[in-house]
Amino acid sequence: MATLLEAKELTIFFGGLAAVKHLNMRLERKEILSLIGPNGAGKTTAFNLITGFYRPTEGRVFYKGEDITLLKRHQIAGKGIIRTFQKTEVFPQVTALESVMIGLHLKESCPVIDILFNNRKAREEEKRTREKALETLEFVGLFPKREVLSRNLSYGEMRLLEIAVALGGNPEILLLDEPTSGMNPEESYRAMTLIEKMRETGVTILLVEHDMNVVMGISDRIVVLDHGEKIAEGLPEEIQANEEVIKAYLGSDFIHAQAN
Amino acid sequence: MNMRQRTLLYSAFAILLLVLPLIIQDNYNLHLVIMSMIFILLASGLNLIVGYVGQLSLGHAAFFGIGAYTSALFNLKLGVPFWAGMVLAGGMAALIGFLLGYVTLRVRGHCFVLITIAFAEIFKLIHFNWVDLTHGQMGLSDIAPPVLKLPGLFNLAFSTKSQYYYLALILVAITIYVNSRLVHSRLGRAFIGIRENEVLAESVGINAFKYSMVAFVVGAFFAGIAGSYYAHYITFISPDLFSFSVTTTMIVMLVMGGKGTVAGPIVGAVIFTVLPEYLRIAEKLRLPIFGLLLLVGIIYMPQGLIKVWENILFKLRARGHGNLT
Repeated sequence: MATLLEAKELTIFFGGLAAVKHLNMRLERKEILSLIGPNGAGKTTAFNLITGFYRPTEGRVFYKGEDITLLKRHQIAGKGIIRTFQKTEVFPQVTALESVMIGLHLKESCPVIDILFNNRKAREEEKRTREKALETLEFVGLFPKREVLSRNLSYGEMRLLEIAVALGGNPEILLLDEPTSGMNPEESYRAMTLIEKMRETGVTILLVEHDMNVVMGISDRIVVLDHGEKIAEGLPEEIQANEEVIKAYLGSDFIHAQAN
Repeated sequence: MNMRQRTLLYSAFAILLLVLPLIIQDNYNLHLVIMSMIFILLASGLNLIVGYVGQLSLGHAAFFGIGAYTSALFNLKLGVPFWAGMVLAGGMAALIGFLLGYVTLRVRGHCFVLITIAFAEIFKLIHFNWVDLTHGQMGLSDIAPPVLKLPGLFNLAFSTKSQYYYLALILVAITIYVNSRLVHSRLGRAFIGIRENEVLAESVGINAFKYSMVAFVVGAFFAGIAGSYYAHYITFISPDLFSFSVTTTMIVMLVMGGKGTVAGPIVGAVIFTVLPEYLRIAEKLRLPIFGLLLLVGIIYMPQGLIKVWENILFKLRARGHGNLT
């Protein structure tokens, strides 16, 4: 497997607090890597560092060997690394279809002069964008809701729309920040199937997730963070049996109690 | 409305616009129409940054003033004809818009609003105090009217209102065409994405700074063109063009017409140029009545007249379907 994304010694301080400390991590092509850890472990911070939303105090991020640490958010997106957000982020006053069309921005390149004359090139690109957006909505199961304003969608539907918007730009790497939070079990299941389907189409996925059923079910590998540091890395079954991890989640008392 | 009815309606409307000076014979009313058209250029341009990108720019009058002074000074000092002056005016406004945007479009919300207000005030003061060049409060007068020249065929200096009307009609048509092409393209979607959720827009690769700049500069360009037209139409300009009240007029047109739509600023510009004039029959009560109308408008139609109109159409259509079943 080829390494697609690599974080080296990634560190960020907020005041005196190291939210992420010396994080080393590799993301291989076409895998689903989950980032887990207790609340406040630095998972979302790590996401923000990789996608240019925060600048690291130390350390570097490489994408296909290229240093992308200091690129701007939209430039990183332009490389094919697209993220979603923990807190639901949609374009509220815009229909689901138009939202995904906005998400297709990176796929469009028609020169302004063609747009002004509305020639065949411009019309064809417009048509392609619309078709691709409809296809993407179909893919996440929101096709029937295409004409509904984003803010009028149910919570679970908004989360699916977020994935559709992110998928628009054909990302090579998709970073999903708790995609199933706030979803009911059925929607959660749908999201999981979706994530696996995305991988099949060739997308590499970095996942932050709280729902352990989801994580253990679909991850190829898991990285565990606690207090900003990586405490474990491995296959799902290895992580389940890892003492450090159990300690981080349940406290050291739990281990002692079991031992006694 | 089906396709054919719509084409018919649009054609009828276009013909009406073409023969309007024959219908409106008196100069006063034709002047109001021309002023409406100047404000269509201004409000439509402002709409790009305020209505689509969602950044409240309160300095738009500055670009209007810059356009007017650029064109007038080139004309008075160097004898540059209107047509070249208009292009220079648009270019100058766009250039200054770019420089201002380069500094201010990095900030959002209140900061941006305040800087744009300050910017317009600074330009007003410059034109007020640089007496050698601008004659200060005296303003610039005797700006030459546009001249249509075809060597050997004709040499026509604009003198009647209807000549000015047709020129404004062409400018308005170009502005609205360019506007609607832009907002219904990938650029328009980028604008709307930034307005609706800048963080999300950037996460899908939209360069918020760049696209805000495009909207801002195109808007400034149209304002510069409008300023140049105004200078050569009225033939007198003063630093009052930069006034905050000119900007607020545009904002009222935009908000009451419907921001973030192509038709909104057009409707707003026409109504809010004509309405205050016709309120003159109320004499002293003119401004209080105007204020009251605005208040009622903002409360009951916060999304503007265009939205109200769309809702009426929607209901009519729904009723039509109801009758069929």
